[in-house]
Formats: sequence, structure tokens, C-alpha cells
Amino acid sequence: MGRSSKDKRDIYYRLAKEEGWRARSAFKLLQLDEEFNLFKGVRRAVDLCAAPGSWSQVLSRKLRGEEQEKEQEKEQEKEQAKIVAVDLQAMAPLPGVTQIQGDITKTSTAQEIIKHFEGQPADLVVCDGAPDVTGLHDVDEYIQAQLLLAALNITTHVLKYGGTFVAKIFRGKDVTLLYSQLRIFFGEVTCAKPRSSRNSSIEAFVVCQRYAPPEGYVPNMSNPLLDHCYDVDFNQLEGPNRVIVPFLACGDLSAFDSDRTYPLQLDPSKEYKYTPPTQPPIRPPYEQACRLRKSNLLANENSPSLPLDEGFSSLHLSANQDADVRPPAGTAEDGGKLDDK
Amino acid sequence: MESVLIVTPVTALEFLGEDYLLAGDGPVLSVYNLKTSPTTSALLSVLQNFRIHGIRPHQQQGDKAEHTSVAKKEEEEPQGLSWQQRAHLVVFGGKAVRLVELKMGELPSLQPLGPLIQLRDWVLDVHWLDVRGDLLGVTLAHNATLLLDVQKGSTLALCSCEDGCLLYSALLVGPCWKSLVVVGGTIFNQLVLWRPGEGTEKEGGRNMVGRVERRLLGHSGVIFSLAYLPKPGWLASASDDRSVRVWDVGALGGEAGCGAPSPTCLRVLYGHQARVFSVKLSSAGAFSAGEDGVCLAWDWDSGKVTRALRGHRAGGVRALAVSLGGAGGGGYVATGGTDGGIRLWSLKEEDSGLEDAGVLRDLGFEGVGCPKVVRVTGGRGLRQRGVVITTDQGEVYSWEEQRGWQLLWKGGAGFCSYNVMEVLEWWSGDEMCAVGSLSGEVWLFPLSQPSAGIRLKAGTGKIHSVLWVHPTGGRGGYLLASGAEGVVYRWQIDTELVGGAVVLNTEPLGPFILPPCAKRWLTTAVLISRPEGALWVCGDRRGSLLLYRDKAEEAKADGALQPMSVLFGVHGKQGVTCVCEHAGLIYSTGRDGCVRVSRLDASALEVLRVQRACRGMEWLERIMVLDPEVNPVEGEHGERHAGEVRLILGFHSVYFVVWDLVRQERLLSVPCGGGHRSWSYWLPQSPGADGAGTVVFVKHGAVMASRAPEETFHQQGGWELKEGIHGRGVTCVCHLGAVRVARQHWEILATGGEDTTLTVLTIDPRSRALRVLALITDHISSIRALAVVRRPGAREANDTKPLLSVLLFSAGGRAQLQCYRLLIGANGQLGLPSCQVIQVASHRLDEQWERRRNRHKTVKMDPETRYMSLAVVSDGTEGVLLAAACSDGALRLFSLTETSGRFQLLWETFYHQRCVLSVATYLLKDPQGCQRLFLFSAATDGVIAVWDTNTVRNLENGPSSDTCWKDPPSPCLTFPAHQSGVNTLAVWEGHWDDQGLSQAGGHWMTVASGGDDGQLSAVCIQVQFHSKEVEGSGLTLNLYARSVEPLAHSAPLTALIPLGPRLLISASPDQRISLWDRRGSSLRHQGVLFSHVADIAGLTAWQGEERQTWVAVCGQGLQLLRLEAEGDGK
Ligand SMILES: C[S@@+](CC[C@H](N)C(=O)[O-])C[C@H]1O[C@@H](n2cnc3c(N)ncnc32)[C@H](O)[C@@H]1O
Repeated sequence: MGRSSKDKRDIYYRLAKEEGWRARSAFKLLQLDEEFNLFKGVRRAVDLCAAPGSWSQVLSRKLRGEEQEKEQEKEQEKEQAKIVAVDLQAMAPLPGVTQIQGDITKTSTAQEIIKHFEGQPADLVVCDGAPDVTGLHDVDEYIQAQLLLAALNITTHVLKYGGTFVAKIFRGKDVTLLYSQLRIFFGEVTCAKPRSSRNSSIEAFVVCQRYAPPEGYVPNMSNPLLDHCYDVDFNQLEGPNRVIVPFLACGDLSAFDSDRTYPLQLDPSKEYKYTPPTQPPIRPPYEQACRLRKSNLLANENSPSLPLDEGFSSLHLSANQDADVRPPAGTAEDGGKLDDK
Repeated sequence: MESVLIVTPVTALEFLGEDYLLAGDGPVLSVYNLKTSPTTSALLSVLQNFRIHGIRPHQQQGDKAEHTSVAKKEEEEPQGLSWQQRAHLVVFGGKAVRLVELKMGELPSLQPLGPLIQLRDWVLDVHWLDVRGDLLGVTLAHNATLLLDVQKGSTLALCSCEDGCLLYSALLVGPCWKSLVVVGGTIFNQLVLWRPGEGTEKEGGRNMVGRVERRLLGHSGVIFSLAYLPKPGWLASASDDRSVRVWDVGALGGEAGCGAPSPTCLRVLYGHQARVFSVKLSSAGAFSAGEDGVCLAWDWDSGKVTRALRGHRAGGVRALAVSLGGAGGGGYVATGGTDGGIRLWSLKEEDSGLEDAGVLRDLGFEGVGCPKVVRVTGGRGLRQRGVVITTDQGEVYSWEEQRGWQLLWKGGAGFCSYNVMEVLEWWSGDEMCAVGSLSGEVWLFPLSQPSAGIRLKAGTGKIHSVLWVHPTGGRGGYLLASGAEGVVYRWQIDTELVGGAVVLNTEPLGPFILPPCAKRWLTTAVLISRPEGALWVCGDRRGSLLLYRDKAEEAKADGALQPMSVLFGVHGKQGVTCVCEHAGLIYSTGRDGCVRVSRLDASALEVLRVQRACRGMEWLERIMVLDPEVNPVEGEHGERHAGEVRLILGFHSVYFVVWDLVRQERLLSVPCGGGHRSWSYWLPQSPGADGAGTVVFVKHGAVMASRAPEETFHQQGGWELKEGIHGRGVTCVCHLGAVRVARQHWEILATGGEDTTLTVLTIDPRSRALRVLALITDHISSIRALAVVRRPGAREANDTKPLLSVLLFSAGGRAQLQCYRLLIGANGQLGLPSCQVIQVASHRLDEQWERRRNRHKTVKMDPETRYMSLAVVSDGTEGVLLAAACSDGALRLFSLTETSGRFQLLWETFYHQRCVLSVATYLLKDPQGCQRLFLFSAATDGVIAVWDTNTVRNLENGPSSDTCWKDPPSPCLTFPAHQSGVNTLAVWEGHWDDQGLSQAGGHWMTVASGGDDGQLSAVCIQVQFHSKEVEGSGLTLNLYARSVEPLAHSAPLTALIPLGPRLLISASPDQRISLWDRRGSSLRHQGVLFSHVADIAGLTAWQGEERQTWVAVCGQGLQLLRLEAEGDGK
């Protein structure tokens, strides 16, 4: 399939490239904003699970204004909007966005984020976190829920009273447990689905407004926030007592339909031109495996000899080396000689 | 509602000794006794709403059991004693842990010991910590470990790791809590080792915190699985980065603590094409399996892959277990797939894989010249297998294991440089050989007495091919020699024994004349006896299928025979390679990569089905249809196959491949260098076994065999303990009907999946058996919708009437539409239903574009339309109307007549301007007695449109006539029903509010819909006909009585079906199946069932025997439910 084929199947992917967004996700945040006015009065925001950074782009444009993006008035910036973006993956820099590379489920990362907002709580926390799905739904939904809860735990430390929390959620078998948990912390919880999110996907967003933790609640970073369990006495698993929050579809109906396949020629007066992606894709975990496959070096029954062994076994990895970042490309890991030239 | 059968990914496997295999499939724990034949099993649902992710037998108990079962065999103890053996198992998954007792024996049984223990966090590993079987170490996903008294269900201690982060996998090693070591695979690609028993108090004494003692870096993806082998002290990790790493960590647990102070990475094993989900270590080596569906066995010393076990469909292997093997080594590997299947593989030395290139054997040809044509001998009757070859010196040699190479026959100058040869197994146990030359000479001789040979003349030109054809019944054989100018000379051959010498009798028959073309010679032929005379089905080099009849009165004359019927070039220009007959059908293969199934009537051949055997395999050489025996090998593992085996032999790039057409898997692959070479094949020795046989071929002047002929044959696909279905999501399911076979009741269903396959399967609800009857692989993209017309075809003769005959439609990605006639019969031998598939029609919107020559140079401007939903209308006539919801924003209407075999696009409308998600149809009789067809369509904006097709066509000719379709009209009614996409529509006659609406008069219909917003809604529509056609349509539709259940599900409502007059059933990826009562003016919740099928996408329901209602849901798997009687809530 050619490169234009994805342009046909996914209109928002194509639009994102044409409008300079790093990911199609940008439209989701924009459409959520259309409905909820998320950025009104917001000066300080946290973007959790931010890579490759399209939500940060939206935040940056919305909070700092489009013109300022190009200016470099360093003095003013301090009073300007504050945006902290966090992800496991490294992200290309964005003006006015402070980046932290780390795991949001990890205490140390959370503490680093909290430091940025001491005395100056955030107005908005957004989290678009999604695991690399394994295809086993119970596992994927569980991990997604843990990302959401880790984000919620961080939120309880940094969000101002009355602030907003927006997070991706998978509408799967236990989503009602998350709803009931979020209800404890927020005056209003809505399940929102931007029109740029595919109808067929279980992805949606919880928009939690009016942050109001329970009386006497002390945020605690040393213990993870665990998800609720079904109350067996109330037969919450199969009974009608499940907490289901209102649903709201977001975005203009006249906007493009993410499920529709469009012809490449959208506008008869404008000829289709392929646009390359704004950002090269994030370095995938299987990069090395792909490289080996391309050079026909994957072990199989027919090609028994593996030239890699020495290269790898001489690699001495010492213990207790506290490094939270993945080794940068081009280190011994990649065993220079494996490059297919 | 009660669950009857469930097929979901197999997520846990564990051996108990060598005799028992434990498996987890959803919440269901199964045990298989591997030593009984057929295999016995038991199952028990143990984890409620959690899926089983691990099973840990209590070691002491497990060892004892293993020990005694070995002892039993040696001392021949009475079998009854084995009933005494019990084992305690702990089963875990999600946030649950449960203790289960297994009673071993001929018929194993499972019993829960105590209630389900629910923990606060997700369980990643569980480890027994004492001899009595009370204490468990449990590692949780937030990197904490607890000490659990499993009898009491109470937590005795809890310790968190200082590295508070999420783990994807964990492994516990050690004899007791005090010295227990946790290996955690973090979300951030590291392995951390720590000891919960060494934790220190923090924050006021309540929280114990453990220090990270070792940290192993190197993976570049999350860690999915961990394994530890104490003997050398090695730890293995499997990752998202597609590698397996083996670490030299030394001894873990007990005195040794966290092992070597600075562990090294011994090996990085890259061999998988996708993520590695599971790794196991045993003294035999490392085993890894993953998303690519392959289990790789790795050799310790070299880091080589020793075997690749392929047995699961797309979606991969989720669970892996390795048994230790007894004193003689060996043991088993078990793999469990996303497809729900379980396979067992023997590790015994002699069973090792054929795919190892090292097994290729050069037979060491010793004669003069170069081998040209090779054939195998002794395939069936004889014990001794051998090979015969011709050489470029015009000689024939034979080879046998014991005797080596021997010169049999010298053909002289006429047979040098060019010759063709074929051998036939003779009734006398001998083998008959025919060799043809460049100048019309054919020599015929028995291999046992080459000197008894005779010479035949087949014209004067080049003999392109010689073929042997088995007579039907009788003895002897027919010899066909395809000479110049398309003349096929024929002889009937028989032998007599005169004083120990073989005497050949030949009788010439009238030659066949082939249709004129460039490459005019015969490639294959089969003789079929019919009451009206024998028929010959032949294939030629031009790709044509030909039919000849022997006319008795002309048989002895020289009269040449012209074909009665020609399917010219059906197999393409590369030619037909094989024809054979099975169960009344003709199977043919060609170098177009296709298998054709044809029906033969008195005077013509008709192709019923074309099937691409295997993607990328363009060169098919042969098809073999075998009727398996139910118990092929005495004392082995019982029943193997439900249906007949169809093997395809052919070339796939440089490999010779044996492909199982039914199971769609490769049985054998031999690197031979590719097509255009002489080859020959032995079937596996035991008839019907899964073995892959042996291929012999000529390469670079050498005669090679894929393995030594006398070795025992081995099952390539593994032993199938449980049959899997689709490897990825099942997007649609459809009930086709029910049949009775062998006094048993079988439900027949069809499913379509993201793996692009269409499956016809049968379920016996009583025994909970599920069998795949047919796998249809014509779709090139994901299948999304099915529709069925339950009506026999017009041409089904009464005497061969199938038990069930339906017309099935499937549609999906790349705008592809298919139609099949399925004939369900009985396979008496196996006591199972059988399914014959006839392709009726296929259609693609972009066919026009695909045919364009220069398409590679141009950008395809058409949208890549997906069909999202189908609805079918049949009024009893032959024609059928099909409505399709399309992703390009169109609603399309097609017609099809079975005889024309063509879909015709009648009408399309882009009214919705958005992806159309669902469609439904409704037929209504108007006061004049005319049928009126209403279409319902709905899109991603939540709007439902109703179309009165009377305004676009003339109904007098019946709904399917293609005439008089006018321009697209506008809908006669539209109404918003949902905030966003409408996933499912159901329409039925009447209204539900008996009091209010019945007074209003007119016709009523009810439309129910389910949306992405989780809402269930229903509206009543009144249809009023006007006596005179006021304006065009002559009717008006009025909306009445809307009933809405906004939060019917907590996730999108994806499937909805009315059950009887009052009930509705709905399903959603929230994994709840809900029943709704539509009495009164509102929908009332009647009951709900939690389903273990994730991502539920489709639903089908039907009325069975004894007022029982059956419901099948599909998604990441398939589940069958029973509703006791209508109105039954729970
Ligand atoms: C859907 S992407 C976010 C896209 C982003 N909002 C944008 O608009 O460009 C999900 C991200 O979650 C990140 N992620 C997953 N697990 C994480 C974790 N534990 N900590 C931090 N980031 C995580 C992934 O690295 C990935 O970049």
C-alpha cells in the first residue's frame, strides 16, 4: 500500500500533517475545548503522556497565543503561561513548554512534576496516556486505568480547587469503577468523545470539572492510587447499580468524519499533494528487530548462524545503574557493525 | 441467561508432570489427561469476572503425583488407584486468586477449594512458599509483594518496592518469605530485583519498603514475560522489542539473595517477527513465543533456533508451557493462541522438525550423467520406499536405502538430452514405468523386470508428457502420452505372469485431441466412472480443464475424441497442474495459485469455487484430498481432524511447501530452489496422519530428499488439543441453521473476522463441542458484516439434497462483497456435519481501477471504501436484494440472482455525507397487496433515515428485478436518534404500546437502535397509505412514542437483536449482555450477563428446540448463551 493510502483512510491524520500538528490527537483536544471551554482562564497546565506533542502544541497556542510562539521575549515568559509536558519518550522541544522525560506511574517522576507547581497550583491537567496495547483487553484496559489513576494522583497534588482534569479512558468492562472514583474528586464528570476519535474505538475522554477533593483528603504520593473493586453486596458487576456518567459527543457535526473514507481529491479546485509527517515517528521499541530483519539477520531454522552473538555477549551491563532514560541511539547497544549500509 | 460455550484467547498453560496439561481460557480452568486416548478433559469456571493469567500447582503435591504415575506404569498397578491422586493448584488472574483441587485419573476432575480471593491490585505472579500449601507470595502490578494465607484468604505481610512504578511482568523465586526474590519487569524496560522479606519500615511503621538490589538494563520495550532456571542460574526476559535476553544472575533466593552482584547479559535472541509474549527455560533450552504465532526453540550453546513451531492463526501465541521430560529427555511444549486453540508439540529427538535445513539429504547419485526426472516409488503398498530417475544419458536408475543406486534401463540415443517419465504403482505390488522421447517413442517396463519392457509409438514428434491414470476398480492402468499437435495417445495396459516373467498386454484407445493453442499438451488427467460411461477430466498446459467421454462403440476404432466440454484457460497461462476427484467433486490446481472445485454433470464441468491456496504461493503443483481416520495412530493422541485433509503441494519462492488448505497452515517447507525442477512426494507413512511427508527433487545435478525416507513421520502442525477460531477480533456472527447428524443436534454458524477469514463452524450445545467446517479466505481485508438467506438453491436435485442450504453474504474492507451457497450435509464416517462451499458471486467497487494497466504509476483517487453493515431482502423468488452501509458515505443497493452469479449495483445515495454505519430492511404489504421495501440507514452523526424504495422502482416484477430504478430519492423520514454513531439497527412489525397506539390505525413498525453513546432507543413509526397517490409515494410516515435508555451500556452499544415479540437483547464492549423488556411504553432492564468476550462487536440469536433461545456474541472470541424460556430474566 502506498503512502497516500493512510491519507485516504484517516482524514484527520492527513489534516494534522497539512496543518502542522505532530499528531492527529490535536483535533481531539480542540474538539473537547469546543464543548467545554477548557482553556478559559488557564495559565498553568500539565500535559501528561505528551509525546510526540500535539496536545502541548495546542496548549502552547491556546495559552500563549499564536503570535508569541515565534517571539522570544524571555523576560515576559516567566509571567506567561506555564506548560509542563511529561512522557516516557523524548519529545522535540516546543516554545514555552517545559519537558520532563519519565514514567508517570513512578514516584520520582511525579515528585519532579509536583515541584514545578509548589505554591502555584495548575489550572488544568490533561493526560492522553495510552499503553502500547498488547491486544489482550483486560491487560490493556487495566494498564490504561493505571495511567489515568497515576495522572489523577499527580493531579491531586498540583490542581487548584475548582480546576479541570481531562484524561483518556478506555470504555471497557470496568470503566464504571473509574467513573465512581473520579466522582469522589470532581463536582462534574462527563464521558466525552471528540468526533475526531473513531466511532469504532473504545477510546473516550473523561472531562472532570470542579476539582473538590473529599474533606480531609491528604494527597499521598508514596502509595499508588488503586482502582476500585465491584461491591459484591450490591451486585455491581451485573446489577443496575453501576455508575455511568453522562456521555457527550464533542465537535462540530460539520467537521470531517473520522470514520469516513474520503477521496484524495477533497476539493475539486485543489489538487491533492502528499504532505510528509510533521514529526518523524517516535523511535519504536522494535527498531533494532526491524533493522535485523531487513538485513536478514533474524535467527531462523534455515540460517542458523547468528553473527550477533559476540557483539552482544561482550556487552557488560552493570547492575544498580540508575538510568531512567533509554540508551540514546548509536550506543554500543546498536552494535555499530549491524547497521545495514 | 447461562453461558454454554466460550472461546477466548488462551492466556495460561501449565504442565503437571508429563501427563496433565492445565489451561486457562477466560475464567475457565481446563485439565487435559494427555495419556488417555482420546484425551479426556474437565473444566471449571473459577475466576468469575477475571481472566486466568497463571496456574501454579503446589510443587510438593505436583511432584508426588508425577512420581506415582511413573511408578504406576512400571508396576502395573490397577488403574483405579490413580483416582487417589490429588493436586492443589492456585489459579490467578486480574485481581483474583483461587485455590482449586485436581483429582487425577482416567477422567480428571476439578473442584474449587474455598471462595475467590479478591485483592486490591492486579496479580502478576504467585509462588508457593511452604510444604503444607497454605502460604503464597503474590506480586502485584504496582511493584508490591504480599504474603497470603490462601486457606484463610488473609494477608500476613505486605512490602512495596522503593521503585514505585507499574510492572508488566513479575517472577518470584525462593523457598520462603524471608528470602524471596522478586524480579519485576517495569513499564520502562528494566528488570529490577528486590526482596520483600528484607523490607524496612517507613512512614510510621505501617509500610514496608524494599530496596532495589539489582537493575538489568538493555531492553528497549516493556517486559512481557520472565523465566528462571536455577541450575545454571539464568534468567530470561521477553520483550516488546521482539528480543529475548538471557541473563547470568546466578542463584536466586535463599542464602544467595539476589544472586550475582553484577549480572551480565549472556545472549540477546532476535528471531521473532513481532512482540515476544512468553518465554520459558528448561534444561533443553529456551522457548519463546509471541505475536507472530510462532514458538521458537533456542539452543543454549549456539543461540540457534532449533525448531519453529507454527500452529496458530494470526494474533499469535499468548500462553506457553514446557514439560520437563522424563529420563529419556523429550517432553512437550504446549502453546495457546489468541485464536483460542491449544497445541501440543513433542520434543522427542526423532520428532524434531523437518524445517531444519540440516535434514536435507543428498541421495548421492552414482550413475552416469545428470538426473533429469525423479519419481518416488513404494509410496503405498510396499514397505521399502525408493526413487527412480531418468538421466540425460537416456538411462533409468533406481535407488533404495539398502541397495543404493542401480542402473535399470538404457534407452539409447533417442532418450538422451530429452525424456519424460512417469511411474504407477501396479496391482501386483510392482511398479510400472513409462518413458517418452523426443521422437514419439514410449518405453514401458515393470521396474522389477526392465527387460520385459515394450516399445509403443505415439506419433513421431516430441512426447511432452506421459501420464498414468488409475482405472476405477479393475486392475492395470491407462497410459497417456501427449504427442505433437495436441494428440494424446492412449493405451489400456495390463500384465500377466507367464512362467515367472511379466508379459505386458497393451490395447490402444482412441486418442484425445486437445484444443488448438500454443502450448498444446496434456498435464494431468483423472478417470471418473459414471453410470452413463466413464468420463475423463483433463488439464492442459494452456490452463484449460477438458472433459472427454469414452464412447464404447468407438473405443477400438482409431476415431480421435474431441472434448465434450472445455473451460478454456481457467487456470491461467501457466497451466493446470493437477486434477483429482473426491466425494463427487473435481479439484484442480494450477500455476495461477488457485484451487478450483468443480461439479461434473453428464456433459459439462462447472466451477463452484475458486480458492487462492495461500497468499504469495503462485505455483501450485498438486492437491491431495485425504479422508482421515478418526484415530490415525494407535495409542497416540486420539482424534485429530474433524474434516477431510486437503493438502496443497507447490512452490513458494525458493521453497517447496506442503500447505493444509483446511487449516490454512504450512506443514512442510523445504528450501529446494524453487519451481521448474523435477520433484516427487511421499505421503506420510501412516495414512491420514498429519505428517508432512517427504519431497525428493533434483537440484544442481543431485537428487535430494527432504529427509531420510525410513524415519518416522512427525506432525508438523502439532497435536491440536483444542481448535481455535479467528486469530484476531471476530467482527460478525450469523446463525445459519441447525442440522441433525448421528442423532445429535448441531447448530451451524458463520463468523467473519479482522483476520480476513470467513469461518463456517458447528456447535453441539450438549457436549459443548465446536468444530470448524470450512474456512473461506477470499477476502483481502477485514470482514465486517454477514447476511444470510435461508433458502435452498433452485438447482439442488432432490436425491442429493443437503441437510441445510443457505446463501451467505459477506462484506468488508476494500469494498469487497462475496456471496456463497453453503451446502451442509453429514459426514457419516465422522458423525459430524460437513460443509460444501460454492462461490456464487463476488464484487469490488474498485475493480475498474484494479484492472487498469498503469495503476502502479498513478495515485488511486478512489476512497478505500469499507462496507460496514449489510441487510438482505428475499421475497422467495430467485433474486435477492442487498443493502450495504459504506464508509464513503453511501448507502448502496445491489441485486443478485444466483444463476447470473453477478452482483449488480442498482442504486446508491450519498445522502448521509458521513460514514454509514448500519442498515436494515423491512418489507410491508400495502392495501393493494404489493410488497413495499423500506430501507433504514444510519451514520456517524446519529441520524436515522428511512427510504421507501417504491419511489425508486416498479415493484410489479418482484423486488429483485433490475428494471426501473430511478434517480436517488430523498428519504421519506429522518430523525436524530443518537449523539454520535448508530452502530446497530433493528426493525420489526408492530408497536409496543398496546393501549395508546392501536387506536390510531394504520401499519406500525418499530425501529430500535444502539449507539456509540451507549444509548438504546426505540421509536414506533406509523405508516399511512393514501387511497389515491397524492404525491408520488402514496404514503406518509409518522413518528410516535420514542423510548430512550440513555445509559444502557457504559460503552458503545454495538449489537442489538429483538427476541420474540417483547424482548430486546443488547451487547457492548463493556462486556455486558443485557435483556430489555419492551412492554408498556418504556424499555425495562430485565437482566444482564457479564461476558468474557472483550470488544463485543456482533450478536445473533435464534429459537432452538424446547422453547430455548440461543444467543451468540462475538468480539475477541465467541460465546454461546442459553436463555431458558422467553421472559427469563436471569
Ligand atoms: C496517544 S500518545 C499521546 C499523544 C499526545 N497527546 C499528542 O497529542 O501528541 C500516548 C503517550 O503515552 C505515553 N505513555 C505511556 N505510558 C506512559 C507512562 N507510564 N509515563 C509517561 N508516558 C507514558 C506514550 O509514550 C505515548 O507517547
